[in-house]
Amino acid sequence: MGEKVLEVISLRVYYDLPQGTVRAVDDVSLDVRRREVIGIAGESGSGKSTLALAITGLLRPPAKVVSGKVLFNGVDILRLSEDELRRIRGRKIGVIFQDPNTYLNPIYTSGFQVAEVFEAHRGIHAKKYLNEVVKLFRLVKIADPERRVYAYPHQLSGGMKQRVLISMAIAERPDLIVADEPTSALDVTIQSEIMDLLAEIREETNTSIVMITHDLALLFEVADRVAIMYAGKLVELGRASDLIKDPLHPYTKALLSILRYERKKKLTSIPGSIPSLINPPPGCRFHPRCPYAFSKCSKIEPKAVNIDGRLVACHLVGGSE
Amino acid sequence: MSLARYLIRRVVQVIPTFVGALFFMFILVRVLPGDPARLIAGPEALEEDVRRIRELLGLNKPLYVQFVDYMVSILRGDLGTSLKFGTPVINEILNRLPYTIALALVAESIALSVALPLGIISALRPRSKATYISSVISLTGSSVPIFWIALIFIYIFSVSLRILPSSGADSPRHIVLPSITLSLLLMGNLTRITRSAVIESLSSNHVLTALAKGLKYRVILIRHVLKNALIPIVTIMGIQIGSLLGGAIVTETVFAWPGIGSLLIDSIFYRDYPLIQGIILFIVLVFIVINIVVDVIYALIDPRIRDVLWRTS
Repeated sequence: MGEKVLEVISLRVYYDLPQGTVRAVDDVSLDVRRREVIGIAGESGSGKSTLALAITGLLRPPAKVVSGKVLFNGVDILRLSEDELRRIRGRKIGVIFQDPNTYLNPIYTSGFQVAEVFEAHRGIHAKKYLNEVVKLFRLVKIADPERRVYAYPHQLSGGMKQRVLISMAIAERPDLIVADEPTSALDVTIQSEIMDLLAEIREETNTSIVMITHDLALLFEVADRVAIMYAGKLVELGRASDLIKDPLHPYTKALLSILRYERKKKLTSIPGSIPSLINPPPGCRFHPRCPYAFSKCSKIEPKAVNIDGRLVACHLVGGSE
Repeated sequence: MSLARYLIRRVVQVIPTFVGALFFMFILVRVLPGDPARLIAGPEALEEDVRRIRELLGLNKPLYVQFVDYMVSILRGDLGTSLKFGTPVINEILNRLPYTIALALVAESIALSVALPLGIISALRPRSKATYISSVISLTGSSVPIFWIALIFIYIFSVSLRILPSSGADSPRHIVLPSITLSLLLMGNLTRITRSAVIESLSSNHVLTALAKGLKYRVILIRHVLKNALIPIVTIMGIQIGSLLGGAIVTETVFAWPGIGSLLIDSIFYRDYPLIQGIILFIVLVFIVINIVVDVIYALIDPRIRDVLWRTS
């Protein structure tokens, strides 16, 4: 595999709320290599969206980075000034957000909003770049691009709007695209089209993609490697094919078994619910819901161990200590 | 072209509103206690004279006949003759109008030039001095009665300091106190609306998209925050300018400012039916026009509204 584009090193992001400190991302490390699609999966509230915002330098109060590094091409973006960060955003790191309906500004044409990416990094008013936007629209398979650049968001369908957001993210051919639940607001039929599009874009532009989703089925189709998050912790990280064949962490096993049951049209769930991130359970955060839990699990937090290039944080695996 | 068609449609739609408002006003003026004929004739006049004057004014006819007569004369462009001044109503209104327009524009400009920056800054910096000042202004503007502020100003600037005139409209200096007083009333609302509109706009998701593009902060602020926040601000401005053009009754009365507001008060005291009717007709007209202007501004700002308004016309 190629060089590392992104390296997250023991990142902790906490939210200071009146009710207490929410440990949304708690000691998470992972890396992303060139041209790689890495998926980050987990339930809502597992900290995956906070991780996405941290990677793009878009964290806003009350979120605060407590410790750790986010190295992008070797530079820690958490230490950059707002202006240095601005030059990276949109040019080196593209972001695709969850809900195309609210992430576009209703009062500007879609073409203009995409052209703003060029304005931000090359100067000159966005209006001068509409021709380039037409090319981008063609790349993301928007029909009739010459006319669509003049369409306002409310005149486009949801899938079309998501393509507009994607064209925005890839406009400057960034090294990294962070996609935060890019399909969750779309119809199922459109979801796979958008996923296919992202896969094609990776082929054409050599970009790396961090894909954040709770939709495992979709994720295993496109991701090279998959990271599973639970309650602010990374519990397992490995090649998608390995994970699907042989999940090591009990939480991953549980998620995958749900996936298999869904194929059989049965509705199942993991017993219990995701814990409060203000007072997470001691030891392994998954132990109250884990069918294999034993005494050690509620006392000592498992460290991630590397097994053939796969990271797992579970006392049952590796067995040392 | 669609704008012209839209305007024509709006004007046609507004006719029933207009006639309805006039009818309501017509009845209301006539159920007021007091008889203009008796006021004209004087307290010692004979019953016979009062009756003759009433006939002369047409006030003895049934109400609906009076109303139809009135509508017909309006259509001919005739608002009637003032009972008090003996001059055409339209002349009286036009004489006072420049004063009212001047006061409205100066007061609204002062209010805007304070409220917009203050509202924006207090939205951007929630814990700054600007936030503190803006909440004081909002509270003062909406809770302290305007005549009280007016009297305080007169006491300070005219009586004690003797630097500004307290009444009349003889020189440009005369507009200072009434316009500042009036602007304080407007400022409170305007600041509050601006602040909340900008806060809401700031938290919208498309601002996050703009940040993710790497746009400069200033560009994001103007394009993606402030322009989106304009609609509520324009709405409140429309209402304010509309009511100001109808005459700032209290302020004009306290400062003896010869505008529409003080004319309206005079005409009501005198039961000057044609003049009251003429002024209220004018106020109704102002509100109708301002509503249309505000809607057109909405449409210019927001393409979704443009589509709904113009496409359906």
